[in-house]
Amino acid sequence: MGITRTPTSLTQSSATRGGIGESTLRPDGTLKVTGEFAYSSDLWHEDMLWGYTLRSTVAHAAIVSIDTSEALATSGVYAVLTYDDLPTEVKHYGLEIRDTPVLAHGKVRHHGEPVALVAADHPETARRAAAKIRVEYDALPVITDEASATAPDAVLVHEGRDDHHIGHVPHPNIVHRQPIVRGDADRAAERADVVVSGEYVFGMQDQAFLGPESGLAVPAEDGGVDLYVATQWLHSDLRQIAPVLGLPERKVRMTLSGVGGAFGGREDLSMQIHGCLLALRTGKPVKIVYNRFESFFGHVHRHPARLWYEHGATRNGKLTHVRCRIVLDGGAYASASPAVVGNAASLSIGPYVVEDVDIEALALYTNNPPCGAMRGFGAVQACFAYEAQMDKVAAELGMDPVEFRQVNAMEQGTVMPTGQTVDSPAPVAELLRRVKSRPLPPERQWETTEGADVRALPGGLSNTTHGEGVVRGVGYAVGIKNVGFSEGFDDYSTARVRMQVINGEPVATVHTAMAEVGQGGVTVHAQIARSELGVTQVTIQPADTQVGSAGSTSASRQTYMTGGAVKNTCEAVREKVLDLGRRRFGSYHPAWATAELLLEGGKVVTDGGEALADIADVLEDDVVDLELEFRHRPTQAFDLRTGQGNGHVQYSFAAHRAVVEVDTELGLVKVVELACAQDVGKALNPLSVVGQIQGGTTQGLGVAVMEEIVVDPKTALVRNPSFTDYLIPTILDTPTIPVDVLELADEHAPYGLRGIGEAPTLSSTPAVLAAIRQATGLELNRTPVRPEHLTGS
Amino acid sequence: MKPFAYRRADDVAAAVALLSQDRHAVFLGGGTNLVDHLRLGVATPDTLVDVSRLPLDRIEELPGGGLRVGATVRNSDLAADPLVRQRYPVLSQALLSGASGQLRNAATTAGNLLQRTRCVYFQDVTTACNKRDPGSGCSALGGYQRYHAILGASPECTATHPSDMAVAMAALDAVVQVVGPDGERAVPIGDFHRLPGDRPHHDTVLGHGDLVTAVDLPPLPETVRSRYRKVRDRASYAFALVSVAAALDVRDGVVADVRIALGGVAHKPWRASLAEQELRGAPATEDSFRRAAEAELAAAQPVDGNAFKVPLARNTLVATLRELTGGTPR
Repeated sequence: MGITRTPTSLTQSSATRGGIGESTLRPDGTLKVTGEFAYSSDLWHEDMLWGYTLRSTVAHAAIVSIDTSEALATSGVYAVLTYDDLPTEVKHYGLEIRDTPVLAHGKVRHHGEPVALVAADHPETARRAAAKIRVEYDALPVITDEASATAPDAVLVHEGRDDHHIGHVPHPNIVHRQPIVRGDADRAAERADVVVSGEYVFGMQDQAFLGPESGLAVPAEDGGVDLYVATQWLHSDLRQIAPVLGLPERKVRMTLSGVGGAFGGREDLSMQIHGCLLALRTGKPVKIVYNRFESFFGHVHRHPARLWYEHGATRNGKLTHVRCRIVLDGGAYASASPAVVGNAASLSIGPYVVEDVDIEALALYTNNPPCGAMRGFGAVQACFAYEAQMDKVAAELGMDPVEFRQVNAMEQGTVMPTGQTVDSPAPVAELLRRVKSRPLPPERQWETTEGADVRALPGGLSNTTHGEGVVRGVGYAVGIKNVGFSEGFDDYSTARVRMQVINGEPVATVHTAMAEVGQGGVTVHAQIARSELGVTQVTIQPADTQVGSAGSTSASRQTYMTGGAVKNTCEAVREKVLDLGRRRFGSYHPAWATAELLLEGGKVVTDGGEALADIADVLEDDVVDLELEFRHRPTQAFDLRTGQGNGHVQYSFAAHRAVVEVDTELGLVKVVELACAQDVGKALNPLSVVGQIQGGTTQGLGVAVMEEIVVDPKTALVRNPSFTDYLIPTILDTPTIPVDVLELADEHAPYGLRGIGEAPTLSSTPAVLAAIRQATGLELNRTPVRPEHLTGS
Repeated sequence: MKPFAYRRADDVAAAVALLSQDRHAVFLGGGTNLVDHLRLGVATPDTLVDVSRLPLDRIEELPGGGLRVGATVRNSDLAADPLVRQRYPVLSQALLSGASGQLRNAATTAGNLLQRTRCVYFQDVTTACNKRDPGSGCSALGGYQRYHAILGASPECTATHPSDMAVAMAALDAVVQVVGPDGERAVPIGDFHRLPGDRPHHDTVLGHGDLVTAVDLPPLPETVRSRYRKVRDRASYAFALVSVAAALDVRDGVVADVRIALGGVAHKPWRASLAEQELRGAPATEDSFRRAAEAELAAAQPVDGNAFKVPLARNTLVATLRELTGGTPR
């Protein structure tokens, strides 16, 4: 059995130390940078087969026929499956709406949709056999935008919808629509001295994780299946997989394998059901690994969006009202679109105080690639637009853009457009002040005694300008992101913590189903256990479905939720240990009964610091073992007409200042510095916090100046599914990212912490755009900005 | 990937003979382009004849001050060669602006010259492409054309040539040495790559079995300054949107000689002879440069997706010439 090491099993042998607040090193860090870390694509099993997925070559077509005979007759092929081979009545899956067929049925709705599966004894054999499957398509009209989707005679992407949104959407090609109306925007507009409107376009961004979708399904003797896979949420996968296989969930045992990045792109299923189907059909282990080309079709992307905004303000700089309309392209299947709509609507005006708003957000069904979760989740697109608007209004008023934002900044106690009161610190003005007060990077940093250092110039190693024609610009932006699952979702996480003595030393074992996707959760869990239980030895068990759900590694929620679950369970374990101690040693010292007791440095100590006993002596041969669920406070659904409701758990804020240098002649941009200030509540691991902020900032930079999946508007075919054609920033494109971390506790959250992963992705993009606008004087209402938008400016 | 036989040639004659015997054999150099195409299904040869280890890996001085670059000289070695850096900085710069260090270590001189287009339709075997599958049509027409040609395209093909090195060689009047079934011949680089016309599946004038053995670089007068500029979407690891290779000889403020080639704008490295004609004998001023650029680009036939390349090519050319005159920044 060659199941490889997973990130979580590594902590056992690592020599990491440190409790919360310390920059403990990651157990997987060295292995990853030295190339030794085993990712899910490295999974291997004796006698395993390789699965391959045949995908549609057209975006919208009826399937007239599928002929698999030639593929089946290929030597080395063990199975070929189509929709007709699915074993149960459950043939669809989906995160929120089960609208996605496991294999295409009757028609295909987007380019790259899975049509058939092949298992063979060699990956190349499987691929060649798949090429012999003859699929006859009959083309259908392609729906690619709002006009074609909502035309009265539009072909329906999904006929016969019976999901819970169909009752309130104005057209069946709209997945979900969320208006928010508060105050009276029409009347408020009469008070406005300036009114600014704009239309903005946000391109389709890809998560571009480096580890492609992959996993290994192993059939078990009990008729079940063991699935090793890189995912973001084991139990959500499980709920979608088991019914399709016709197995009870206990017979589908899932274990997290090494995950090479996620960013939302692994929240939906990819190869999971396919691998299990092939394994159960052939009775052999089946591995599926997507190549890079296929990976672009194997996961959802960030919703591209069109956004219309109108802002009004009085002459003294106070916002009067905001009207906006956000149209997100959800593509062919719903994925997370409903929740993305809720976020886009509820966070659409940004971290500002505006009492009179009229907001509408919706997601379309089209034949474009399905879009769903990606870091920032609906708040990113809105932030790009409202921050551009804030600069325009400030310019109209003749105000400094930062000052204008500060005048309108929300704070603790502000009421959101949803009617929800922000009940923890919201240091928006302070974050802006911090990035603004930072000294600007020196001008003309490319000048050296040996001539121009082209790496510091627009064009980089392309060796273009040596400084001539280069103009500097500075831009600011700030954003607001919700943390955790919203709108009444029962969001919880589970942690099992065991404490026992091994070789004379107390050892804590932490078992959760949290997907470590690179965010550093396993590091933080060990820190929490050390702090709460006073031990040095902490074993983090591999994440699997033998323990309760940890929820998704998304929505900036895992440190809050599974970190919270580990903390809570540790506290309960600590009480049990102390109870044992009281029973064993209570009569020896009065403090056992009277004092507040803690576990520290392997001992039971009083809050005054007096040691009462060794934990090892307290435990002896006993094992304390608890599994508990942790929930954040409940939220409410947004009213479908007014958008009112306490929909969110917590908010997260970040601000950026971008300094760019633009070669206006050739349209090339060098982002020189992208400073960030963010409130994190409490930095459990300061080094990881800075890493997350720098990563999110860079992902925001990518969509500002280069990242976009190009979909042909006539055919809805994806045109750049490779890393040669879909460009992401290299280290040369990545600026210095100084980070200023605030720690203002949220009393509702474990340790006062605030989810941090997404907020920096929001404000990074509009800050870069603002800086480029300042340098060039161009309007730039679309992202990404590329040379064609700038050349000759 | 379709299965193929692998043969290694011991000398040039054997290599040519191996290919001549097999219609479905191709030469394998560094493999940085061909192996991608094998994996994508764009290339489906029966046999690979490995020529990467032929004794063609030397850079030699030619009588009169030129250089002969062997066909298997790796891009990294060519860029770093002291004589190349001294005499043909434009070539060294072009090489270093292409690909990544790892790819340059593997890629050969001949292979770079013979790179095929990065057109997304050419690389996507599920779409029609006259270059990949003659007569099947051109999906780029009316499709995604951001990277496509503004000069010299045909209704059959609007692809661009991706090489940086070849653009510099075009400006340097390089001569390609070829050995084929019918013997040796020398092909001026301007005649080496083709415009698509109605036969876009032929990138070059080479026939089956023709092997590039070397590229000769003629001497440049010492007063000539040369420079390569490349505009792309990120600071490294990306193909050119537009590039300019220029060699300029200015005497007493007047352009005595000039050679210009453009990359990213056509099916072949585009020698800008109209611009050169405009410049020869003209004062080396911003105005002349602009007029020259406009003279060359007057024939451009952009479409919506690539119209930006016209001003971008003009600006890049003007900026390059300005820099070569040591002119003051704007």
